[in-house]
Amino acid sequence: MLVERYQRPAYAVALSVTGRHEDAQDAAQESFLVALDRLEECRSPERFGGWLMTIVRNRSKNLVRRESLRATDEVPPGTRSRIPTPDRMTETRELRALLKQALMDLPEVQRQIVLLHDLEGWKHREIADRLDLPCGTVRSHLHFARKALRNALQSVPGVPEMMRAAP
Amino acid sequence: MNREWPEMGTTDELGRDIEIAQALWLIDPTHRDPNYWMRFRSWVMSGAARELARRRMVARLTVGDVVQSWARTLVPTALLAAALAGLLLWRGFAPVPMSVEELLVSEIEGETIPVMASPARTREAVIFAVEAF
Repeated sequence: MLVERYQRPAYAVALSVTGRHEDAQDAAQESFLVALDRLEECRSPERFGGWLMTIVRNRSKNLVRRESLRATDEVPPGTRSRIPTPDRMTETRELRALLKQALMDLPEVQRQIVLLHDLEGWKHREIADRLDLPCGTVRSHLHFARKALRNALQSVPGVPEMMRAAP
Repeated sequence: MNREWPEMGTTDELGRDIEIAQALWLIDPTHRDPNYWMRFRSWVMSGAARELARRRMVARLTVGDVVQSWARTLVPTALLAAALAGLLLWRGFAPVPMSVEELLVSEIEGETIPVMASPARTREAVIFAVEAF
């Protein structure tokens, strides 16, 4: 099923553009509906992933333009926290905010690549194909993105331990 | 407790930087909601239900389906046409109605009375009468 296969990368790309959970969710979901409507435009099935990611990026950019002033709660409705203590919740929330800020400080293309690679487990070649970039460029972007994230996160005391402790 | 991070961390079998991946997992919706992707998928599927149903219908139509859909109107029409043609054909071969007088003389050679009463024709009748009586 195409939705199952691409929902996480679509969300990751949308998040890399919008930077907000709810916007990323809306953009990713709408992109699937748009892709279904325009399926005839995708000439070869093997290019579906790249074609879908282009739609996701465009929808996300449109959403950001339209709703740039929208303030949203980052926690999706119906979300249940599995973090037991208020202290841990606070730590995790802070770490998440820090991480998001570090991600948003990256160039958009680096954000997409690090999310697709280190969060979704895509290979360099797959990312290169989907984002229409040379493989070497993907590796280079990934290297700089990781370095920047490490620099941002290591400045916070106890971050690695917090991450390991986080459920 | 502080810990210095190496510039490049260890990677897993997929080549992911393990520590970066752990950090990124915090922003994965599954981290806060284990059923998130299931809900995401059901939302997409319900939004796409109408279009998917339309595409399924289009995909199902084969040559056989088209013929069958035509057959629904074509077969009764063909049967009606055949019945009508049969009726017309039967009426074409049916004998033309005749009057009683016509029936009495039909298929009888038209002979004149003198011919019928000629000696050659009456001889057989005389022989028959002689033999009979």
